[in-house]
Amino acid sequence: MRNRVRTLRQKRGMSQAALGAALGVSRQTINSIETGRYLPSLPLALAIAHHFELIVEEIFDDDE
Amino acid sequence: MTTNDTQKQSTRQWMLPGFAVAIGIAYLIAGLVGDEVGFGLFGLALMVTVAVALLLVRRRSETVQGLLDRRDERIVQIDVKATAFAGSVVTAAVLIAFIVEIARGNDGSPYAALGAIGGLAYLASVVWHRVRG
Repeated sequence: MRNRVRTLRQKRGMSQAALGAALGVSRQTINSIETGRYLPSLPLALAIAHHFELIVEEIFDDDE
Repeated sequence: MTTNDTQKQSTRQWMLPGFAVAIGIAYLIAGLVGDEVGFGLFGLALMVTVAVALLLVRRRSETVQGLLDRRDERIVQIDVKATAFAGSVVTAAVLIAFIVEIARGNDGSPYAALGAIGGLAYLASVVWHRVRG
């Protein structure tokens, strides 16, 4: 599963810690999501999409 | 985050340190009842130290913070996996100790009872989570 979280975050000039704080998770979790080591739950994926004013499919992509 | 969420988070942060202190008080009471005052005082001091350490370390460690406030779903998952692993290790140790006790010609206590509690707790948990969906 690929995602565009890092690109979207950097485009907005946000740090991982700031995005984590906005979503109620840690900086480590944002880093794990960005590197694909952690697949977020549906509520968190929706929160990420909502934060970037996109839909989930525009951020997360099933590359299989 | 709502005010209610903030209150819940604040309450959660104190649960683990509070539990540690409660265990320390239980050690103290056990020590006083069993005429092992030194053990009781040491146990209380140790558990209060654990509680204070948790509260201090949470400011520097996102992981400890996450374990205490349980807001971060990834850290909660890590906690669940670590708990399952620790439970598996304890279960294996109890089974091995039970077998060793039987091989020594003993009745296997207290390991038989501990194993039974573990097995029943697992079954009850499976049923509970199955019903809750």
